[in-house]
Amino acid sequence: MSRHHRIANAIVAIALVLGFSWLCTMLFALLGNQTDWSKAWNYRETLFRGWWMTLRISLMALVGSTFFGLLFMFGQRSPLVVVRWTCRAFLEFVRDTPLLVHLLFGYFVIFAPLFSRTLGDQGLDDKLIIGVLLLSVFEGAYLGEILRGGVESIPKTQWESARAVGFSPIQVYRYVIFPQALRRVLPAMAGLFVSLIKDSSLLNVIGVAEYFYNTKSFISRSYAGLEGYVPLALGYLILTLPVAWLSHWLEKRFRHET
Amino acid sequence: MKLEVTELTKCYGKTRALDALSLAVESSRVLVLIGPSGGGKSTLLRVLGGLDVGDSGQVTINRQPILTDPNALQAYRRKNGFLFQQFNLFPHYTARRNIALPLEKVHGFSPAEAAAMTEQALARFSLLEHADKLPSQLSGGQQQRVGIARAVARPPEILFLDEPTSALDPEMTAEVLELIQELSEAGQDIILSTHEMGFARAVANQVAFVAAGKIEELSPPDELFGSPKSPLCQRFLSRVMRY
Repeated sequence: MSRHHRIANAIVAIALVLGFSWLCTMLFALLGNQTDWSKAWNYRETLFRGWWMTLRISLMALVGSTFFGLLFMFGQRSPLVVVRWTCRAFLEFVRDTPLLVHLLFGYFVIFAPLFSRTLGDQGLDDKLIIGVLLLSVFEGAYLGEILRGGVESIPKTQWESARAVGFSPIQVYRYVIFPQALRRVLPAMAGLFVSLIKDSSLLNVIGVAEYFYNTKSFISRSYAGLEGYVPLALGYLILTLPVAWLSHWLEKRFRHET
Repeated sequence: MKLEVTELTKCYGKTRALDALSLAVESSRVLVLIGPSGGGKSTLLRVLGGLDVGDSGQVTINRQPILTDPNALQAYRRKNGFLFQQFNLFPHYTARRNIALPLEKVHGFSPAEAAAMTEQALARFSLLEHADKLPSQLSGGQQQRVGIARAVARPPEILFLDEPTSALDPEMTAEVLELIQELSEAGQDIILSTHEMGFARAVANQVAFVAAGKIEELSPPDELFGSPKSPLCQRFLSRVMRY
């Protein structure tokens, strides 16, 4: 870095810090006398239950979206034209409509009338299950495209060599294509899983008691402001940052190998 | 090996890669395919090696017809070996793993047996010092040698080599050709295509000149290189031998 750059860097850094502290000071001055962190502490159990639910939803949807992602990827590579086109059309529909619409429409119009009673009779949380399913399909649609891109980026010679050594079609994917493709799409996948965690907050519209839902009800019951939103943001960061770090780490690890 | 190809045709779109090609070899250990690029050598090798199926025609190797059903083709590929011009190895596995993996997963050897066979193959081709390197850490010639070691770790009925040295510089070409010659001297049946005429002459029992999707001429090397009969073959040889 040249000297000019260093000076410019320092100036910009100072300006940013000053600006940010001014903003914080102003906000706290405005809200200071109303901010009462004990409110959040009193509701800690509800908040934690919500956060725990968000974690569970994310893990389940992670598995679910991987399943749907693989399904959509193989569907689009199917030798049958009908399967390919159906997949294509479905993916296009899913990716070009808001998740909020899927959740509302999918829950209230499609799945709740069909399964709610059956699931409820078995003592299961129908909102959670249907919500996770819809979230999995939505994220799976993106994952399917990411995986397809990865698989299609593997050079033809690798497919040929794998066939030449006698691998079965499944073994070709298992030992040759997926290990290479996954390395290439890992950063994109991690990005998607971060989105998935954040998108799980939308499940509040069908009444799943996840972190956002519980925080919202805490805020409306206790007239809280900052006390609700700051833990909300931090709670999501605790879930998303490790995923982001993991992806950077894996990316670095695999980079020199291929 | 005994090889019989009758009226084999293969089209890619509108291009006729193989045009009712017929070929009969009674018994030959090393069959070398030569000819101009785009003449059908690779396609013929791919069909013979079970990687592609002809649109029509029949191929019989050692009295066994090659079937077109995917499972039969896979079984057929499993008992043979095939090597391409380059990028044969799986870049995410070490040389050792590249050889051992098919032994375990395709041929069903236990990990210990596979490891022993791999060790033997690596030693045979003086590749032990490179055993734990990734393909990207090997030279092109070393990569091809590992590729060959992988193909013959479990002795194949026939070893197919599609221009195995085309992507290599002269020195590496020599090291790979030496290895192929060694294999042929050890009794391995080989069908290969090449642009190395000197090598073809030295190693082949039969040479087939392939052009425009047909076999133009098939003779023992001394005959084909000494006094080619087909005008196409004469022209090709006079051209490639000039420099």
